[in-house]
Amino acid sequence: MSDRNPADGDDASTDSVSTAEGRGDQTPRPSRASAGMPTWGLVLKLLVLAAVNGAFLAGLPTMLENQWWTGLAVAAMAVILLDWAYLTKKNIPAKYLVPGTIFALAFQVVPVVYSGYISLTNSSISHRLSEQQAIDNLTSRVSNVPGTTLYQLAILDDDGELAFYLIDDTDEDFLGTTEGLEPLTDDRVETDADGDVIAVDDFVVLGLGDLADRQDEVLALEVPTDDGAIRATTFSSAAVYESLYSYDEATGLLTNNDTGVVYEPIEGQFTAADGSTLDPGWQIFIGFDNYVRVFTNDAIRGPFLQVLIWNYVFAIGSVALTFGVGLALAIALNHPGMRGQKIYRALLVIPYALPSFMTALVWAGMLNQEFGVINKLLGADIPWLRDPTLAKVSVLMVNTWLGFPYMFLVCTGALQAIPDEMKEASYVDGASPRQTFRRIVMPMLMIAVAPLLIASFAFNFNNFNVIYLLNQGGPPIEGAATPAGHTDILISYTYRLAFESGSGAQWGFASAIAVLIFLMVASVSAISFRRTRALEEIV
Amino acid sequence: MTTTSEPRPVAPPVPRRSFGKWFRDKGWRHLVGWVALAFALFPVIWIISASLNPLQTLTSQTLIPDEFTLENYRELLFGDVPYTNWYINTLLIAGGASILMTFMSALAAYAFSRMRFRGRRVGLMSVLLIQMFPQVLAFVAIFLLMVQIKGVFPSIGLGTRLGLSLVYLGGALGVNTWLMKGFFDTVPKDLDESAMVDGASHHQVFFRIILPLVAPILAVVFLLSFIFLINDFVLADAVLGQGSPEDYTLSVGLFRFLNDQFNQRWGMFAAGSLMAGVPVVILFLFLQKYIVSGLTQGAVKG
Repeated sequence: MSDRNPADGDDASTDSVSTAEGRGDQTPRPSRASAGMPTWGLVLKLLVLAAVNGAFLAGLPTMLENQWWTGLAVAAMAVILLDWAYLTKKNIPAKYLVPGTIFALAFQVVPVVYSGYISLTNSSISHRLSEQQAIDNLTSRVSNVPGTTLYQLAILDDDGELAFYLIDDTDEDFLGTTEGLEPLTDDRVETDADGDVIAVDDFVVLGLGDLADRQDEVLALEVPTDDGAIRATTFSSAAVYESLYSYDEATGLLTNNDTGVVYEPIEGQFTAADGSTLDPGWQIFIGFDNYVRVFTNDAIRGPFLQVLIWNYVFAIGSVALTFGVGLALAIALNHPGMRGQKIYRALLVIPYALPSFMTALVWAGMLNQEFGVINKLLGADIPWLRDPTLAKVSVLMVNTWLGFPYMFLVCTGALQAIPDEMKEASYVDGASPRQTFRRIVMPMLMIAVAPLLIASFAFNFNNFNVIYLLNQGGPPIEGAATPAGHTDILISYTYRLAFESGSGAQWGFASAIAVLIFLMVASVSAISFRRTRALEEIV
Repeated sequence: MTTTSEPRPVAPPVPRRSFGKWFRDKGWRHLVGWVALAFALFPVIWIISASLNPLQTLTSQTLIPDEFTLENYRELLFGDVPYTNWYINTLLIAGGASILMTFMSALAAYAFSRMRFRGRRVGLMSVLLIQMFPQVLAFVAIFLLMVQIKGVFPSIGLGTRLGLSLVYLGGALGVNTWLMKGFFDTVPKDLDESAMVDGASHHQVFFRIILPLVAPILAVVFLLSFIFLINDFVLADAVLGQGSPEDYTLSVGLFRFLNDQFNQRWGMFAAGSLMAGVPVVILFLFLQKYIVSGLTQGAVKG
């Protein structure tokens, strides 16, 4: 175990396609690579490649239209990588690396980088469009006040799709749909004996009985025109409603045509002089404002620091408790000649083997103040999940329950993996059992387990399920500007910022917190790698 | 393993031991074991009892119900709650993604373990580096990306189960790849070299020689991925949470089902949890030997 894989030291950079060790007697023979390829494999490969290339081409126009360059770049890269790896006979390592790499790029690297980008914007449920999309949305709205251009109206229906038959004051007739206004020629209009219109193309004129049922639909139908939209004022008359807002591209100002109020684009939202704003706003780049807010806004900073500190207490406490209980049990139950060891092991593993989302919810029920079994058994009325301190204790207790079997398994395995010769040698040299345990067994155990403890810390640092499913991070911290609870850890705090109703889906701010977590987790990982290497060199 | 693995000298053989001696040697261990069992199994027994109790509520539950019924199970499987959908969704999404993740990880591990190529070292380090930024933390970005994907490819965008599976596949390369590479390194290279001399191609070596030999680590990685994905709430909720309830996974579905109505829905929730949990426990116990060996070995190697 101590001698490293010989390849780790040298990076054979001379021959990028060699599959062998790079020894002189093994020249690469690329032609052989495909000689034994089973035909079904080839067919499958070509089908998959064709499907991926086809999907890319099919999606290309939409991606261009949406101006979604990130998606376009990732998709193009994926297709090029795949074709390059599998349509050439060289590049054998690529054939094995490309599939995982593509998914890692698309759904791991890109989201992480994108998180960083979003954290520098004001992205939220009301700031999710681009500026142009927001302007289009606002200028497509029409005034509630009918204008002066009036039409006679008949309402048409074609299998559920409504349309207007319109006659203006010069007796010209038009077909009005959601697409727009279209002049009609006589041959398209069908009239009855009285000269009343009964159909246009495939559209049939609706009777009053049908209209009453579909009143809402009729009133909602807007036929866009150049300067607004035509809407029904009654079932037999329509009017042009002017656009509510007009946008001046030169000045960038938006004017309400009814009230004359002028809106100025400020921080991704059209804002009037009196401070009132229009939804939707749009996403803008705001630099480090989200980060600055975390550290300068008192109503955010206080709860955030509380969450941060508890996050560390929770993660360290969880590791310490699960490891302590697990190790103690491993020592107690790992004894030659002890009966029932296998049964103990099998049963004790159950809390870890059960899905944690469900056990967290089970504990939530058991710890329920009014109905929970714990209070019933104790005959007490203890607010396990509602008192800030007790809630923290409960969370740690539940997480110990969930996690100790893992440590128990790992410690048992590590104890059994320690060669007996080492312990015997220590006895021969006159060490007491206690000394042997402290000086031989524990250090060897720690070498095996230390990386797992760090991994466990990293896992618990973001152990969302226990925190959120057990108690939704509660009880709430009073006076917090953003939703934050006494048992919230950073990731559950982020989740609530982003998705919990009432907080306005603050995606930009939530991403800033996520980036902060990234930095913390990455620094722990960086330390762990060094430490792992240091520990390995001891052996 | 003929000698003792206990950190104390072998006691001189005693023909008949008193209770005191037995207790000091082994008895206390059983005591500890029983206490641990009580702690570990109490919630499990409680939830089994709740699922069989004809009275649905949390208030009315006793440890041993007065009468037993399967009504909770029947209601859940054939009633209005789309529980069976959640179950199948979870199996398909988590199972399918885990199989593909394991496979893609094994492919990469094979390349890293057996081939020498430019960028190998960089590749290995990148895999470690990627692992430092857990995917789940980027859930906001994933949510927003899925919104955009929905605009281009509606069948894999926000609210689709296929989309969630693809998101999960983003975690294929990571610590598991290192775990596997470590295991692959222990398979003697002579095996594949002699096969290559005999005319086998690289993929024949991979499929026919390496994969059968590394079956234990495949089982470990598959099971760990599977359990990890079953337990995922954040990404499942981000991708599927605003879609239709029929598309939920078990974690999202059961959480929303219970949604602070503990008292009213306790019995059905208990039944649903057990049906979700028991297969996982059985699978886990079945493969436990592999998992423990994988965890300890991988830990040293990783």
